[in-house]
Amino acid sequence: MSNTVVKCEKVEKTYQKDSVPVYALRGVDFEVNAGDFVSLSGPSGSGKSTLLNVIGGLDRPDSGEVTVDGVALSGLSESELTELRLRKMGFVFQAYNLIPVLSAQENVEFILQLQGVPQAERRERAEAALESLGLADMSHRQPGELSGGQQQRVAIARSIVSNPVLLLADEPTANLDSGTTEDLLGLLRRLNEQENMTIVTATHDPIVMSYTKRQVHLRDGAIERDALAA
Amino acid sequence: MSEAALSPAVESRPIQATGLVTRIAWRNLWRNKRRTWLTAGGIAFATLLVTFAMTMQRGAYGMMIESATGLIEGHIQVSHFRYPDDTKLEQTLTKAAELMHAVDDLQGLEAAPRAGAFALVSAEERSFGGFVWGVDFDREVEMFTFFNGIQEGRLPQSDDEIVIGRTMARNVGVAVGDELVMLGSGKQGGIAAMAQTVVGIYESGQAELDRTLLFTRLTAVQNVFELGDELHVVSIRIPDHREVYEERERIQGALGQTYLVRTWDEYMPEVVQAIEIDRIGGYLMYGAILILVSFSVINTFLMIVFERTREFGMLLAVGMRAPLIMRQVLTEALFMWVVGVAVGWGLASVFVGYLMVEGVPVAGFEEIAGTFYISDRIYPAVDAASILTAPVVLLIGTQLAGLIATLRIRSIAPVEALRGE
Ligand SMILES: Nc1ncnc2c1ncn2[C@@H]1O[C@H](COP(=O)(O)OP(=O)(O)OP(=O)(O)O)[C@@H](O)[C@H]1O
Ligand SMILES: [Mg+2]
Repeated sequence: MSNTVVKCEKVEKTYQKDSVPVYALRGVDFEVNAGDFVSLSGPSGSGKSTLLNVIGGLDRPDSGEVTVDGVALSGLSESELTELRLRKMGFVFQAYNLIPVLSAQENVEFILQLQGVPQAERRERAEAALESLGLADMSHRQPGELSGGQQQRVAIARSIVSNPVLLLADEPTANLDSGTTEDLLGLLRRLNEQENMTIVTATHDPIVMSYTKRQVHLRDGAIERDALAA
Repeated sequence: MSEAALSPAVESRPIQATGLVTRIAWRNLWRNKRRTWLTAGGIAFATLLVTFAMTMQRGAYGMMIESATGLIEGHIQVSHFRYPDDTKLEQTLTKAAELMHAVDDLQGLEAAPRAGAFALVSAEERSFGGFVWGVDFDREVEMFTFFNGIQEGRLPQSDDEIVIGRTMARNVGVAVGDELVMLGSGKQGGIAAMAQTVVGIYESGQAELDRTLLFTRLTAVQNVFELGDELHVVSIRIPDHREVYEERERIQGALGQTYLVRTWDEYMPEVVQAIEIDRIGGYLMYGAILILVSFSVINTFLMIVFERTREFGMLLAVGMRAPLIMRQVLTEALFMWVVGVAVGWGLASVFVGYLMVEGVPVAGFEEIAGTFYISDRIYPAVDAASILTAPVVLLIGTQLAGLIATLRIRSIAPVEALRGE
């Protein structure tokens, strides 16, 4: 197997909006290699979220094929897709990432628990993940007792604690101020550089793009530009 | 593609999720305390109401059965096999002394021997049909309330004395101290005639009895109607009517199959019917209450699922399968039930417990109760059904409610759920 983590071939996705077709993705060919740190940018409605969702198996393309870590997603049932996400992917959304009744520590352990990891190992790994994101002394707080930036850090801790092959983030910094945004991006860059974590993030924000190794620009459901950072 | 074909790419290991699901469900329960208390309060109220009503119903039935069987019929009757359908003089229990011995040997029972015959009852120029029972007054007074209803005079003390009902006395035109003549036929076919003095007049409140039944001593009936050592009925009382079937078996076992041993529900079907009708009415009411509460639980859980659509979308997105999310919500419904039933039971045990000691006065019953020296209060009676019916039905109701609400989870698309912050 090559070091290709994501492979999109001629991926098309059309939505119907008031019986008018909306072309969200028009034949996207796109590959992500292990160790990539990719930003998906483009105007609102250009298809960033749709592409991320299709890669994450949250949405199915109308045609074309998406392959993640060698598994073709079109052949999987809904529950197999859920299982695939659990085993291979980490997700960070713009908001509402955490289970409000669980502490930071429990939110991070949650994924490991779903994976069937034994308790002692679970605790150790969750503590390590929180520690690496500078959240060690907040591990017992519930999401409601954390700031937006802290919540997003917990979400990142949760998404990486299971060592996924791919981390998908949809506008993870959209609700954060610029200082906090830079903190978070610093963490993502460190993850990418030190742990070789493959990251794809959708964003509007030039600051975010400036942190990524590769910038993919979408327009009207097609890739307009795909460039490595200078 | 099957899941096996995916392995090891997407391997699905069974996980121990009970602890996780339980913890989240319990904490979720208290996310909206007010709503939880309202819903659990409905469950508690239904539990209290249904448990209270059922124990009261059982208490009332017990009282009905006790007063019906305690008047004169008894809980259990031993007779000849054909006697109930064909009340002829010759359908007798032979060897009465031996039989009574056998019955008296059974611990914890009281038994009264009786022999009865149809007779034409006359005084002066008027005659009416009647039924003369020969009884053992000492035993009858011990066992039954009927002879507490003697309004005038006293009970017979010799074989030529008799008590009759108020209506019979009026019909025939006799009073205490007057002479009465009974004419019938003996078991061997001879003419049976007896002349007796009315020493008492009773009023049972039941017109049929007051008009037809006369009571004299057992030996008088046995002699006049040529019965010798024979009886028609042995009427038995047991300490607790709820054990009537066990007691019947015990008696039948001791006496053998030559006797017909019947329980009160066989010879007093009208009591059974009254209870059944009331029971059905009760079940309709309980059904309505429990269904109503279940609907409020459905409503609560539909709201819960609606409010948490985005959260469930996130859970699906990060890899929690829909059935596990459903289990989490069903566990929350289970906790709702546990809280509601615990409160409901707590209240019911205090309330019903108090009434088991104090009783509930029955309006308009005091006078009859006074006459027959029976209780004018209902005491709730607890049994497994009265305690468990509401919780079991509500368990099914809340789980169904949870299930109906969670069916929506299956159709949540994570993308839709997470869209539009
Ligand atoms: N479920 C849907 N139904 C109808 N149209 C949809 C749906 N999902 C997406 N679209 C449309 O598809 C197009 C691409 O949407 P997408 O969410 O991928 O854009 P985006 O690049 O993420 O935009 P934004 O920057 O606003 O998040 C848009 O025109 C959007 O309106
Ligand atoms: Mg988007």
